[in-house]
Amino acid sequence: MRIYNKYIVSLALASGLINTLLALLGQNDLGIYFIINVIAYLVITLLYAYFNPRARRALNTVGGVLFAGFVVIIVLKAMEIL
Amino acid sequence: MLGVALCAAGAIFAPLSYFILGSVPLTAVGMSAVIIGFTCIALANTRPYISPQACELMLKTGMENTAALLEELGLRSKAIYLPSTMRNGHPQALIPLVEDREIQLVKSKISGRLIVRYGVNPDDMAIAVTTPGSMNVDMLETKPGPTSGEIAAAATYLLTGVLDIADSVTVNLADARVDVEVSGSKLHYEDIWYYRCLGSPIASIVAAISSEALGKPIRIREESYSKGKSRITLEVLS
Repeated sequence: MRIYNKYIVSLALASGLINTLLALLGQNDLGIYFIINVIAYLVITLLYAYFNPRARRALNTVGGVLFAGFVVIIVLKAMEIL
Repeated sequence: MLGVALCAAGAIFAPLSYFILGSVPLTAVGMSAVIIGFTCIALANTRPYISPQACELMLKTGMENTAALLEELGLRSKAIYLPSTMRNGHPQALIPLVEDREIQLVKSKISGRLIVRYGVNPDDMAIAVTTPGSMNVDMLETKPGPTSGEIAAAATYLLTGVLDIADSVTVNLADARVDVEVSGSKLHYEDIWYYRCLGSPIASIVAAISSEALGKPIRIREESYSKGKSRITLEVLS
């Protein structure tokens, strides 16, 4: 299996597992689902360090957008608490 | 195609799940589909400009030309891979014109010509050729260090990440010998003149990386393929 296929399969398995586990735990906050999915995405992308430079740049862009969403949710949660 | 389909399916499924079904877990599934879809689109856009068929054509053309030169000159010696420091900043391979001779390389840089003198004796002549390995070393972002871990990381980066012609690489470094095992290699060793002299493209890449990392000339001592694994033994020359 090519490294790109492995990467996509890893992402799909991780997100499936995370969503199932959170659903089983009774989690009902969409922000939590998003944050944990983004963390899983960033960790898996980091583990696949051997991508070619162009692929890494593209994935960093997607990661940057997701991280921005992650920060927005964290800020909103912090504002709710304060 | 997969990316667009996942994005579209996720973008439709997520609001439906949230506003009509009122299910947060199903909304999260739609959201995950959008994330994976965008990832697929991003990866699809990083495909090389040149098709694999065109690359294969160019590789075969270069190999045929070098093989014709080797056959015409009757050269059967195993090539010596030189680090860039010994060859005007560009790694290349030397094929000695005389077989089975003790290699005593000159300490200075070897000239950048096709036919070069590599040793102290007047008839220590060789032809210098550019190999797939020579070209790939330039793709490394940093020069690897002289440890087996760094050589393995550089080889994995090139063979798995950039070229996608192998699954994994392990390297064992001991004295004047480097043992390399490449799993899932897609370019195997064949018993042809070119490979007997210069090694398979995978062995050539590994030899060029090892030579660059150790800063020493390297010769491919042995190469075999069995059970989906290529085993390459490199000899480090002093």
